[in-house]
Amino acid sequence: MPAILEVDNIAKSFGGVRAVDGASFRLAVPGIYGLIGPNGAGKTTLFDLICGRQFADTGAIHLSGERIDHMRVHQRARLGLARTFQECRVLEQETCLDNVLFAAQDKHLSNEVLQAVSRGRGARESVAEEAKRLLDLINLRRYADEPAGNLSYGQRRLLEIVSGLIAQPRLLLLDEPASGINPTLLNTLHDFLLRIFAERKIVLLVVEHNMEFIMSLASHILVMHQGRVLEEGPPAVIQASRRVIEAYLG
Amino acid sequence: MRIRADAARPVIGVLFAALLYLLPLAFAGSPYALFALTLTLCYAILGIALNLLLGYTGLVSLGHMGFAGVGAYVTAVLMKSNVASFAPSIAAGTVAAGVVGVLVGIPCLRLRSHFFIIVTLAVGLMLFLLFNNLDWLTGGAAGLPGVPRPGPIHLGFAVVDPRRPIGFYFVATTVFLLVFVIQYAIVHSDFGRSLAAIRQDETLAASRGVDVFAHKLTIFALSAAIAGLGGGLQIEFLRAAAPQSFGFLEDVNLVLIVIVGGAGSLFGPCLGALLFIALPEALRVADEFRMVLFGATLLALALFAPGGLWGLVWSAFRKLRSHESTVTNAGHS
Repeated sequence: MPAILEVDNIAKSFGGVRAVDGASFRLAVPGIYGLIGPNGAGKTTLFDLICGRQFADTGAIHLSGERIDHMRVHQRARLGLARTFQECRVLEQETCLDNVLFAAQDKHLSNEVLQAVSRGRGARESVAEEAKRLLDLINLRRYADEPAGNLSYGQRRLLEIVSGLIAQPRLLLLDEPASGINPTLLNTLHDFLLRIFAERKIVLLVVEHNMEFIMSLASHILVMHQGRVLEEGPPAVIQASRRVIEAYLG
Repeated sequence: MRIRADAARPVIGVLFAALLYLLPLAFAGSPYALFALTLTLCYAILGIALNLLLGYTGLVSLGHMGFAGVGAYVTAVLMKSNVASFAPSIAAGTVAAGVVGVLVGIPCLRLRSHFFIIVTLAVGLMLFLLFNNLDWLTGGAAGLPGVPRPGPIHLGFAVVDPRRPIGFYFVATTVFLLVFVIQYAIVHSDFGRSLAAIRQDETLAASRGVDVFAHKLTIFALSAAIAGLGGGLQIEFLRAAAPQSFGFLEDVNLVLIVIVGGAGSLFGPCLGALLFIALPEALRVADEFRMVLFGATLLALALFAPGGLWGLVWSAFRKLRSHESTVTNAGHS
């Protein structure tokens, strides 16, 4: 069986700077994976290459065996690649429930046009219960009919993650989910991600600076340094690794 | 008991249609009132076309009257040369405007917002120059006078004669209602929700699987086609095509209709058209004065009513309702 995500010797330069320089890794089985590394290690660029915001100069990316590195953002999304943004993006004018339902919607243009003519509501109604259940899990059920723009930053972050999950992705990329979140909500987020993983058994790939958060959340850590994967393994091994400590202090 | 909004919609729609068809009774069939109302309907169609872009997708087009002109001239040329009757002529005008929309959209929609606005402005000016200078086709600056009206339409129970003001008013109302239904169907659909997502955050929309360019091109072409339909109807009504009907001042007027009326609401452009076309004495005194008003109104709206006039009406209505419900609640307790 092919790996859920396979990044093979991928590279990307900006002018003379090699931001990602031959990074390779395989996420073969479902799990919560952490991606860490000192500033400038190429985490963000790697993240952008995986979700299609940037295109790689060389190398290949496969999602469940399908090569995706030439595809545009929306095509990758339709194959089951969901992401959240570091700056946290939700549809501020839509209600929380509509944010989640929109994420589940079939966005193929032809199907949308057919729906406009047939006035069918099947897809939306079939996920409505699941959407409400997920909103319940993050304590946003009572805001279901409120515009997402009225939520606090932390609540938006949770809504963003729930919206990413509703479309049943194979891979959910989280870009610094803990940034800008207060300690109480951080615990909620931590437990929520563990719970979601237990339920869905998908790949969660989390880029994170908050070491305490990621080490207790992830079962497997990838360390990037100078555009490559320097080390990977369980948190305990990574925390004890001389090379990793040198990369961070060096 | 409160009726759910979903259930109330068809009722509101039927009442709105009935109101439009019966409106001439209120003016005892006065030809001047009919003239003003029919022209309002033509502009409301153009307003809906722009509203789909500006209000719902967040794309500002400053050249939409150019597409209206394409529809108008194609309809006028076909009607004048007796090639086709009314329905096929105006259908051809609609399709032609849509095709021009696709051709313009393919290169332009890749541009970021402010560059897109500038390019639509240039496209509008270019189309105006074509209308003004292709003498053999468009009659140049003199325009195309004497465009024939459609012949009588037999409905079985009645005959509608578009050569009479009341007859054309019914034709215009029917076309307008069709466009209004299309607007409603788009806005309240999965397609409309994708457009709304593009308006709010393109990057997010793409990451959720929306093909942003394909969606923008589709709505741009559709909007251009509807503008062409409005232009064709207007030319059939006025019976003469002239380039200045599709010039920059008219573009400004159209943007004003949509924004002042209320961009991003179903009735906003209709209200705007009513205000700017049916009350010409108040607002079309002179072109220059209109421009002063344009600036002042936009400023006032940006400051006090970002939802436009329809937004004001709607929020007043909601306040009234919530006030009512608090009063009834107080009565119960």
